[in-house]
Amino acid sequence: MEDVIIPIVIVGMLFIGLPWLVFHYITRWKTAATLTNEDEKLMEELYDLARRLDDRMCSIERIMTAENPNWRSIACDPAATGIEDRTVGSTAPRRIGL
Amino acid sequence: MSARHTKFYLDKQNKKWKGVCAGIADYTGVDVTIIRIGLVILTFVGGFPWTLIAYWLTAWMAPVKPYEMANETPEQTKFWQGVRASPARTVRDVRSRFREIDRRLAEVETYVTSSNSRLAREIESLR
Repeated sequence: MEDVIIPIVIVGMLFIGLPWLVFHYITRWKTAATLTNEDEKLMEELYDLARRLDDRMCSIERIMTAENPNWRSIACDPAATGIEDRTVGSTAPRRIGL
Repeated sequence: MSARHTKFYLDKQNKKWKGVCAGIADYTGVDVTIIRIGLVILTFVGGFPWTLIAYWLTAWMAPVKPYEMANETPEQTKFWQGVRASPARTVRDVRSRFREIDRRLAEVETYVTSSNSRLAREIESLR
């Protein structure tokens, strides 16, 4: 009796269990999060856009720095510079854009 | 259909034999010499026929890198290697770049608007 059952079990495992296992993981792998073609295009576009915007920001910041080297401090705290301006306003008003 | 950046290609430009190692290096971003030495060591250590069979099968099945992808900049190559390694991290990187741009733009905007009001005040005081 055992001589019949054991080969059947082994053959069953080999020819049904193993392919099942393999295909199970193949389907899992296929449905896992992969980039579709559209995702890829979108990603490329966004990356390009970020790079171009970065370049533009750099050139704008360069222009601003050329116009007024301490524009950043003014932008960071306009109130403080405003108060400071009032104290020195009568003697030498700070020029902007010149 | 355009060339996809997330597939494995044989890199025929930097090939030694069939371009599989160069392709792996291009795909992962690991240095090509390390991959070649690793493969040779693996072959000597005990994977003698299997590494060669795997190499040959890969060379036979994988497509050659498309012509339009051959002349991309090193920055682009690095970007796509990052995408292949972890798309989620690349998305986060791109988003952080956009946030950075937003922050810088906000700085410029604050300066321009506040300097306009300051200019108006100066003109007002000159009257």
